Amino acid sequence: MKTYMKTIAIGTALLTAAGAGCGSDDSSGPLGNVDSLIVLQRPARNDMGDIFQYTSYKPKTESGINARLVKLEPPTADGTQTVICCDKAGPEFANVDISGYDISFDAKQIVFSGKLANNQNYGLFLLTLADGSVDQIPTDPARDYVSPIFLPGDKIMFTTNSIVESGARQHRDEYERGTTLQLGRINIDGTGEELGARNLSHRTFPTLMSDGRVMFTQWDHLGGMNAGHLMFVNQDMTNLREAFGKEGTGASNSTLKAQEISPGRFVAIATSRSRTIQAGALVDVRLGISETVDGSVMARERQSEANASYKDLTPDVPHDNMPSADTVGRYYDAYALNAKDKPDLIVSWANGPVESSVLGLAGLSADFGVFLLDTQRNQKHPLINHEEMWDIFPRPLTTRPVPSISGSAIDPTLGGASMIGSMNVYESSLKTFAPGSIYGVRVMEGFSSEEGFPEMFGTTMFEGQANLGVARVQADGSWLAKVPANVPLHVQTVDTFGMSMFSEPVWVSARANEARVCGGCHESRDRPTVIDPGQTDAFAVGATNMYGLTPRANRMSSDTSRDKVMGVGWSNTVQRIFDNNCLGCHDSRNIAGVQPYTITDPVAGTSIQWTFNLEGTPLPATFAEIGGEPAFTASYFSIAGPDMEAIEMGGLMVSGNFKVYASPENARDSILIKMLNPKRQFPTQTNERAFATSPHMAAVGQGGDLTADEFYQLILNIDMGVNFYARENNPGLNVY
Amino acid sequence: MKNIGTKLAAVAFLAFVASPAYAGKGGSAAKIKDAIRSGSVDAITAEIERAESLTCSECVQAVTNLLEDDRYAVREVAAWWFAKRPGLKDLVAATMVDDLANGSTIKVRNAADFLGRTVTYTSLPTLRVAINRDNIGPEGKLAMVRAVSYMGHIGGNPVLTTAMADRDAGVRAAAVTAWRDILGQTSAAPVAGLLADADANVRAAAATTVGGMGHVAAAAQLETMVVSDADPVVRRNAAWALGKLGQQSSRIALATASTDNSGLVRMTARAALASLK
Repeated sequence: MKTYMKTIAIGTALLTAAGAGCGSDDSSGPLGNVDSLIVLQRPARNDMGDIFQYTSYKPKTESGINARLVKLEPPTADGTQTVICCDKAGPEFANVDISGYDISFDAKQIVFSGKLANNQNYGLFLLTLADGSVDQIPTDPARDYVSPIFLPGDKIMFTTNSIVESGARQHRDEYERGTTLQLGRINIDGTGEELGARNLSHRTFPTLMSDGRVMFTQWDHLGGMNAGHLMFVNQDMTNLREAFGKEGTGASNSTLKAQEISPGRFVAIATSRSRTIQAGALVDVRLGISETVDGSVMARERQSEANASYKDLTPDVPHDNMPSADTVGRYYDAYALNAKDKPDLIVSWANGPVESSVLGLAGLSADFGVFLLDTQRNQKHPLINHEEMWDIFPRPLTTRPVPSISGSAIDPTLGGASMIGSMNVYESSLKTFAPGSIYGVRVMEGFSSEEGFPEMFGTTMFEGQANLGVARVQADGSWLAKVPANVPLHVQTVDTFGMSMFSEPVWVSARANEARVCGGCHESRDRPTVIDPGQTDAFAVGATNMYGLTPRANRMSSDTSRDKVMGVGWSNTVQRIFDNNCLGCHDSRNIAGVQPYTITDPVAGTSIQWTFNLEGTPLPATFAEIGGEPAFTASYFSIAGPDMEAIEMGGLMVSGNFKVYASPENARDSILIKMLNPKRQFPTQTNERAFATSPHMAAVGQGGDLTADEFYQLILNIDMGVNFYARENNPGLNVY
Repeated sequence: MKNIGTKLAAVAFLAFVASPAYAGKGGSAAKIKDAIRSGSVDAITAEIERAESLTCSECVQAVTNLLEDDRYAVREVAAWWFAKRPGLKDLVAATMVDDLANGSTIKVRNAADFLGRTVTYTSLPTLRVAINRDNIGPEGKLAMVRAVSYMGHIGGNPVLTTAMADRDAGVRAAAVTAWRDILGQTSAAPVAGLLADADANVRAAAATTVGGMGHVAAAAQLETMVVSDADPVVRRNAAWALGKLGQQSSRIALATASTDNSGLVRMTARAALASLK
């Protein structure tokens, strides 16, 4: 099988070479002004199915060839290949694996990410091309540093699993289980390492733009949002901003390895997150309005996600994780040689079913080789394809312009906190708010299982959250808050009842002393907005203090009153409300007579039945598959419902009186809240009700009434994803 | 195989009661079995991940078998699959805890990897005892250290300190590395003694841990290591650690190290010099 695959690949390469040879001339073609290419050769492997996999280590092929950087000169199929690293770097490099690299602006140095041995981590190394010497750039030896790129000012940006926050553990991805990568930078002499603010999942594949900003792929996971999008950040890792993939503009589940073609225009890989060996289709992304300037197509004007578009440069290549067909294959990486409407690219491509499961079953690895791709004619011209190696990341060895240095205003008076806010929260491209309807903006901090939680915070697939508070929106629509630096944050606009009106569907974060003020609540991105928080009412009033300097371990509440409550653990806070107010009718006796519902497996003909029950008793074992954690209780299952993904994936049928009483992030439309009819929270707690209907307790003439604080606890739990676990009931804080 | 049979019997009861044969979308028991037959770690991983929310008794049996695979990556993804099914996980965990206490090296290895990856805190008391077993080989003890490292719970500290005195250098190095990432860890003092370990990997790991945790008392020993240790990785890590500690007393040693023959050490020492207080 392996031999057959290689034969196909070689045959295809010969055919494409022959095709390109008709009327093609390398000396005057797209590579005509390129003297040489640098190519990374890694021993072929198959353990990088997921797009965020960065720890794969395989230094040698079966025949003993090392990972290496190779120069191809001239850049033709019969050009001379010269190993430039790391055969002469010393015995320490005998087992080096190299995962990525970048060429300096003056083309005299290469920074690469390498791992010297199985018991070490990926670090950064600087290769001087003139003499072949290699020096390690000092980084934490116990952490990985990958995907380095040169920045102006003799700096290097990278992604790393090193932790910016002292005393914390790095976030873990819940699906591919890796310790997440975040952005960082360091001076080229090894001094001044800085780590950027953290996302709850990975940030990867940074690339420098001609306008000085850095683009990278961010995994966005918040409830139903689960995708990899392109983001912008300044070189100092401030001013995080979305670039492409959200608001329905994406070409696929994940967009990665972006490389600028021209201002506002990028070539990137469109693919699915898992099993794709980090490879997929090639898309030509245009963030603004396309224009042609001196023969170059660019999209620099009115850049926004709303104006973004893409062209599929390789229409036959799957954008999902289906195995690619023979002769179609998948692309690992692309670099534009010009900015024609249909550009010429140097690409890394592999033929056949580039899908880790299929390849694994066959005992194969994808065979990436380097090709010149004419996207006008859809012709590939082979340049390098070592049969035991992945030939990836081809780049011209040439000088390039140094972009300007980009950074944001840093305010030392914040003392290490961050300030976030909006000029006018009513300015939104995602939601129309009635004037005066927004009371404030709630800010929540996110965390995942690394703090000691089980795999699942609840059945709703939300991450852990802690409420940091509500910043009042001022008369001019502005708000400001001082929040903890470097942590994932999630914002919601809330009404006077404390209920979410709209949830921003992503995590954002800001560095220490960064003032991160937006125009609105995801305001239109192609309209100029003057960001000057000093002009706003919120600035005059002062930013709301939201635990900006409180250590992580102290960001939990023992006081659950409205202004103090942070996490709302189900087993302590929520259950106490049920115990005090609801069990007279809604315990296991079901005096209220709520009708049950049934979950049926139509294939097996088996079924289980559930009756509404607000006791804090453990969920019966028979519900373990669809009810999650054994610690989850009858009340949690009754209100949050089963794991709907398990129901859907299992092809199960639900019949009878099925209701999910709490809709994540949507307390206002949740049955529980509608029935209970909560009291007004802001600016002061009163007995005014949110809905015109009679509150449930009064309607049935049973029980008392919840306090305003209890209403807020329920609302907050629901608006933070209906989780069972919060820091306040974290099993990891117990003594064992 | 007797042990795996016990585990299967335990989970089979629950699987039967709950959901014997759910059909999934994309993933299936057949695909998992095909992947297992192929022997490919990558195929197995891909199919287990695809079956994240798929439930069926055939899957349970197949994935349970993988908990005793010789390859860590396979055991890890199988444990993750169980972690997504906490009810099943608890049943398996009960038998795994027994293995920690009484099983062979391989059974201890498998049990520790499962209990660690599923963050079964209730196994910590047993881990603290089991690490002292003298009839367990390095593979089992490494897995116990790995389990404590993954859980990150301070209740695992006695496991790590015991492992730091293990005969096997790999176990000692793993324990030293794990020490730093335990939540609430305050002192690197238990690690400092391993700066003089006979094994270079242990010394290198110890240097990183004491540097990363700011254990200033180790500065003098690191200064000796950075100029005289035979291993360039140890010298590199010692230089990095001295940079973290930032003591003026380290200046001479770091200046010497900045002309080290190894490219691993030179820039690290120069950068460390620049960070001295």
